[in-house]
Amino acid sequence: MATKERKVPALVDKPMDFCPGCGHGVVSRLIMEALEELDQLDNIIFPIGVGCSSNLGAGLECDRLHCCHGRAGAVATGMKRVNPDVLVVSYQGDGDAYNIGIAETFNAAYRNEDITVIVINNTNFGMTGGQMSLTTMEGQKTSTSVHGRDCSITGYPIRFPEMVAREFPGAAYAARGTVTSPAQINKLKQYIKNALEAQMNHEGYSIVEVLSPCPVNWGMTPIKAMERIEKELIPYYPIGEFKKRGENQK
Amino acid sequence: MAEMMKGNEAIAEAAIRAGVRFYAGYPITPSSEIMEYLSWRLDEVGGSFVQAESELAGINMVIGASACGVRALTASSGPGISLKQEGISTLCDEGLAAVVITQVRYGNGLGTLLSAQCDYNRETRGGGQGDYRCIVLCPSSIQEFVDLMRPAYELAEKYRTVVVMMGEGTLGQMMEPVELPDFVEPERHPWALNGHYTYKKIGIFERDSRKEAVELVEKYNTIKANEQRWFDEGVEDADYVFVAYGVPGRATLGAIRELRAQGEKVGLIRPITVWPFPEKAFAKINPNVKGVITVEENATGQLVDDAALYIKKTHKDRNIPAYALTYVFNTPPIHSIKEDYFKVKNGEIKEVY
Amino acid sequence: MKEIVFAGSGGQGVLTCGLIVSDIAASKGMKVTWVPSYGSAMRGGTANCTVKYGPEQIYNPSQEAPDLLLAMNDPSLNKFLPIVAPGGTVVISDTVEIPADVRQDVTIVRVPCFDLATQLNNPRGANIIMTGAITKLMGDFSAEEAIAAMNRMFEKKGKAKFAESNSKAFAAGFAAV
Repeated sequence: MATKERKVPALVDKPMDFCPGCGHGVVSRLIMEALEELDQLDNIIFPIGVGCSSNLGAGLECDRLHCCHGRAGAVATGMKRVNPDVLVVSYQGDGDAYNIGIAETFNAAYRNEDITVIVINNTNFGMTGGQMSLTTMEGQKTSTSVHGRDCSITGYPIRFPEMVAREFPGAAYAARGTVTSPAQINKLKQYIKNALEAQMNHEGYSIVEVLSPCPVNWGMTPIKAMERIEKELIPYYPIGEFKKRGENQK
Repeated sequence: MAEMMKGNEAIAEAAIRAGVRFYAGYPITPSSEIMEYLSWRLDEVGGSFVQAESELAGINMVIGASACGVRALTASSGPGISLKQEGISTLCDEGLAAVVITQVRYGNGLGTLLSAQCDYNRETRGGGQGDYRCIVLCPSSIQEFVDLMRPAYELAEKYRTVVVMMGEGTLGQMMEPVELPDFVEPERHPWALNGHYTYKKIGIFERDSRKEAVELVEKYNTIKANEQRWFDEGVEDADYVFVAYGVPGRATLGAIRELRAQGEKVGLIRPITVWPFPEKAFAKINPNVKGVITVEENATGQLVDDAALYIKKTHKDRNIPAYALTYVFNTPPIHSIKEDYFKVKNGEIKEVY
Repeated sequence: MKEIVFAGSGGQGVLTCGLIVSDIAASKGMKVTWVPSYGSAMRGGTANCTVKYGPEQIYNPSQEAPDLLLAMNDPSLNKFLPIVAPGGTVVISDTVEIPADVRQDVTIVRVPCFDLATQLNNPRGANIIMTGAITKLMGDFSAEEAIAAMNRMFEKKGKAKFAESNSKAFAAGFAAV
C-alpha cells in the first residue's frame, strides 16, 4: 500500500520548537492551511507575541515581526492602517494578549481594527516556566500559585472573546475553539477561516481564542492534558462562535 | 512672506511635507497640538492617524507602520517619552526608521509643564534597555525644527535607526514667521514588510547577537564620523566657550555677541546633534582656552558631562575646566547669562570638572 | 528689538492682542517671536504672552524686560510691573488701580478700553482697542498698515466678517493715546 505524504503548508519552512503535546503546532498549521485555502499565502503579515507564540516566528517563511511583550495589538494596528489590503494576524498567548497586553488587545478591539487576533490560551505563562496568567483556572497550581489559584485575591479567569461579542458592537467575529479531537480541530479551522474571511472583506475586528494543552507546565501526559481541556476548561471556556459574521451592528 | 505659525503646528505640517503618512500618539502638554493638527491633516493626504490608548501603544503602532516602510511619527514629552522607551529600543533592535519628537518639560515623575532641557541624558544615552544610541537633533527655532524634519527621516532611513527631535515646551508653544519646505513624495522602502515576503528575514532564534553588535558599533562610528551638526561662533580665539543647544543656545548667542562687543573673548558651540556630539567643533576651540561653560535648562547639569568629555578629548594636553550654568527651567534672560559669565571669570562659580 | 508683554485674565483677549502685533511686524518682514504662558502657568488669574520684534535676529524669545506692558487687570500689573524696562511704558485698562508706591521710572498710560468698547457698541472689542493704542505708543507702524495686517490675520482665521468693527476699534485705540 502506498503511503500518502503529509502535505506541509507552504509557509512553514522548518520544524518548530514546541514541546511534545503542545497545541501551538496544530494551530499554526491550521492558520497556514486556512491562508492557503483562501489564496492568501502571499498576502500576510504576522505580528507575533512574546512567549511560546514566539516560536511561530522561527518556522515561518513570510512577513512577520516579533513584537514587544503584549504590544501585538498596537503593532498590528500600525501595520494594518498602512496596508489595508494585506491580512494582519497577530499570534499571541494568553499572558501576552491578556495579562501584559490587555490595554493593546482591548483597545484594538474597541477601535474595531480590521485585524485578526489568534490567542493560544493554555492557562499559564508557558515560556517562562508556567506562572499564573489571567486565564489560569480557580484552584490551578502554577509556579506562582503553588497552593492553587485563589480567585478571591487574584481575580477570576477572563473570557475575552465573549467580552468582544458583548461589548464591541462593531466587531466582526469572535470565537473559541480547541484542538482536543479531529472534530474540534476541523471546527477550529473553520473559525480561523471565518475570522480571516471577515478581515478579507473588511468586516472589522476578529478574534479566535484556542484552548491549548501545555502538558509540560501542567505536569500531565499529552493525553491527560487533552482530557483536562475537555473536562475542566470547556465548561468554563465554552467552545463556539460568540459573534458570527454578519451580526455586527456598526 | 513667512507666515506666523505656532511651533507644534508648523512642525506637524513640516512632517506631512517630509512624507509622514502615519502618526500614533497620546495627548500631553506641551506637544499635543502636533497630534491635533495631524488628526485631520493626515486624512487629507491619504495617511493614517491613530489616537492611541497610551504612549506605549503609540510607539508600538509606529513600529508596525515603520516595519511596513511608511514614514511614521510620534510625539510626546517627559513622562510620555519614558513610556515609549521600550518601543524606541525595539525600533533600534529591528533596524527600523522612525522619528520621535519630544517637547521637553521640566520635572521628575509627573513633572511640570515648564519648558526645560532635563531629559538630555535620557535622549542622548539611549533611554531604554540595551546597547543603542539614537540620533538626537536639537533645533533652536521653529524654522530650524521645520527644516530638520526631512533630514531627520533621511538620517533615520540611511542608518535604519531612530531620530529623536528634542525640542522644548517653548518651541512647541511659541510662534515665529515660518517658511514651509516643499512636499516630498513618500516612497515605501525595499526592506519593508508588504505581505509578499519580498525581503527575507531570519527567525528571531537564529540571530547572531555578537555579529550584530559589531555591525551596530560600526554603524554608530560612521554616524559619529559623518553626522555631527552644530553652529559655532568665535571659538578659535576664545578665552571661554559657551556650549548650549535649543532655545538657550540661541539666547546664549545673543549673550556672546553682547559680551564680544564689551571686549570679552567668548565663543559659542550650539550643538544641533547632541548625539553624535559635535566633537569636530570642540577641535576648533582655541588651544589656550580657559574654560567651557554650558547653559542648561535643568538643575543638575547634564550637558556639562559631554562638554567636559569632549574638551578633554580634543585638548588632551591640558586640563580645561568645564562650568555649568543651570537655570532649571525656562530660557534664561541674556543678562543672567552675562552676569553668570563674569562670576565664572571671577572665580565665584566653580568648575564642575 | 522691542519687547511687549500682554497680560490680563483669561478671556480678555490678551493673547490675541499679541498675535495681532506679531502679525503686523511679520507683515513688514521683521523677525518676530510670540511666546504664550500655557498649561498650569495660565491658572491663577493671568494669561500672558511675550512678543519681540525687530529687523535683527531675535536671540531669546522669552520674557526679559518689556519695553511696554499691557495690564488689563490688577494681578497682571502687580505681577509684571517689576520686570518692565526702566523708561518703559505701562498701558492699563479703565479698571486697573495704580498702587500708591508705583515705580516712578515708567510711564503709565490709562486707556479706558472697556468704556470705549461700550461707546462703539462692540463690548468684545476692548483688546483690539488696546492693540491700536499699543501700536501708536510703539511708533513702529502706521494705523493703515497695522489695520490691513490685522484684517488679513482675521481673514485667514475665517473671521473676515469682523473686519469693519475691528478696524473701528483699532482706530479708536490708536486715537486714544
